[in-house]
Amino acid sequence: MLDKILLGHNQFFGVNHLDAKTGSKKEEHFAEVEKVMEIISFCFEQDVKGMMMSTHEKAILLAKEIRKTAELQNELGIYLLVPYIAKYVKQANEKGVLNIVKDSLKETSFVDKVNIFMRGSTGVLNKDIRKMITLLIDFEIAPFTNLNLKAVFLHDALTDLAIGWEAAEILELYANHVKDKYKTRPAFCTKNLPRLMKLLNETSIKNPLVMASVNKVGYQVNPSLEAFEKCLGESELELLAMSTLAAGYLKPREAYQYLFSLPRISSVVVGLSSKDHAVETFSEIRSHQY
Amino acid sequence: MRFAVIGMGKMGMLHAGIMNSIEDLKLAALADTSRFLLNSVRSFKKNIKVYEDHTKMLDVENLDMVVITTPVFLHVPMAWECAMRGIPFFLEKPLAPKSTDALDLIKIVDDKNLITMVGYMMRYIDTFTKAKQIIDSGVLGNLISFKSTIYVAQLFKKGKGWRYLKEQAGGGVLISQATHLVDLLKWYFGSVHQVNCHIKNHYSQEVEDFAHLHFEFRNGLTGWMDSSWSIRHHRLLQVNIELHAENGDLFVCDDYVKLYLENAAAGYQGGWHNWLNPDLFKGVEIDIGGPHFSRQDLAFVNAIQNGKKVGTDLHNAYEVQKIVDAAYLSAENRGKPVFVE
Repeated sequence: MLDKILLGHNQFFGVNHLDAKTGSKKEEHFAEVEKVMEIISFCFEQDVKGMMMSTHEKAILLAKEIRKTAELQNELGIYLLVPYIAKYVKQANEKGVLNIVKDSLKETSFVDKVNIFMRGSTGVLNKDIRKMITLLIDFEIAPFTNLNLKAVFLHDALTDLAIGWEAAEILELYANHVKDKYKTRPAFCTKNLPRLMKLLNETSIKNPLVMASVNKVGYQVNPSLEAFEKCLGESELELLAMSTLAAGYLKPREAYQYLFSLPRISSVVVGLSSKDHAVETFSEIRSHQY
Repeated sequence: MRFAVIGMGKMGMLHAGIMNSIEDLKLAALADTSRFLLNSVRSFKKNIKVYEDHTKMLDVENLDMVVITTPVFLHVPMAWECAMRGIPFFLEKPLAPKSTDALDLIKIVDDKNLITMVGYMMRYIDTFTKAKQIIDSGVLGNLISFKSTIYVAQLFKKGKGWRYLKEQAGGGVLISQATHLVDLLKWYFGSVHQVNCHIKNHYSQEVEDFAHLHFEFRNGLTGWMDSSWSIRHHRLLQVNIELHAENGDLFVCDDYVKLYLENAAAGYQGGWHNWLNPDLFKGVEIDIGGPHFSRQDLAFVNAIQNGKKVGTDLHNAYEVQKIVDAAYLSAENRGKPVFVE
């Protein structure tokens, strides 16, 4: 069962889609893990028992804290987002895509094979490539096992890259691995919902859980709000709505009134940086039937 | 239309994905020196031809356009191969380690009247596009001075690979990332008359991690740019420009545009005007890594289809490169002013 309200994670890691300076300030505020834990515990008391979590290095510290409390470890639903893409973009600038793959796999028994492939001295078999991708997924998820993983989302940068390349098989490979190995729900984050649904039609993935931005001003909604709404109306999916306030541009009441007029909204991600507005926000969301 | 990509790093993958999603355009082939990468692609996409030899690909694939996303020192040689065969090309920025490297390329591109684009994508970010409209409207009156920064928290130890080798990359943060801002300033304010520059390396051995430039534009505007890829607390590449003018001030960054006007002019009222990203956003056909990349790539494809050149073409990149060359020369002489030819 999916949580209706999820605590967002961006404010804990310095991400702000309206203003990068605000993002950095909030990151300072949450520099101490205890402060984040305070917000999590507060939300937990308010019966908000789900949380988005990227695989940022700070999130690894957070995961350790959560494991210290049996109640949180067992009952706080973690919706993991893999990988923390900004880290890899920087690493790609620093050492190139191939070295990222190699370094990520260096702790596995697969590393010798990778070295041989990279020297080009032997051909790579299809099954090797697929094995390698699953190992890269494992590398990202490893610090977060033993938590109550409700779903594992593929980051929009990778989902959308697969969409651009029309590589439906990669999405299927990801979904099957997450389902089989972690016994949890595979899911996708995307900035291109209509295209994702079209591509998933070519796969065995049915009624997917998808996270996407949606708000009444159409901010970060592609290719247009109209096309997005049409897709929601016509597709089989469960939508986890993010950027519902258009990064703070909209007031909660008008934002949620619009959001809950849409079909197939299963959950909402809420970015909370203080307790002040939390109770009000939760009750506003709960006032809508969905 | 059919296109190919040379160089399968992160930018190659990005442009391939975006352009492959543009109507009537298909990724037909790609070239890279890593057989491992090529095999990996072929394993999932059997209909895409892969080549270790890019010249062979250009000869046999009957391409309408090529995307070049190799390390910088290979840009001009790769573009040359395309130009020789009359194939329009998109080149990631910067153009080359030095401006003179590109002289022969420019000549052949002009002779063949080829459509080209070099990836100065910041012009396609909503806030910077809006700022251009405001500046061009003349609402600010005479421009007096500006200050600008471009920072990212990327490098805090010695970097590996071609990006940190002077000969292969041409330089450090100035040529690789700050050229985005140099391009914006040039787009906003026109030709640069002279520059003074100071650079500093701290983490890198061969290339600069910090660069500070003072500009004098031909229209009399003066101002400075500070740049670094080693500034903490900048998760993403962030640009800020503050422009002071007779009739007001303009503040623009990736997140907003703020305009202050002493007096109403050109259809704008006096006082403060603010535009946030949600005010300016329009959806794109596909968003991979940011809508500005999609707008940029679509502009290139449209230019090929309509035969109309784009603002960020090879000539523009050459002009940016000359400013960078002048800056490095100034830095070698402890900030002495250097004229931009």
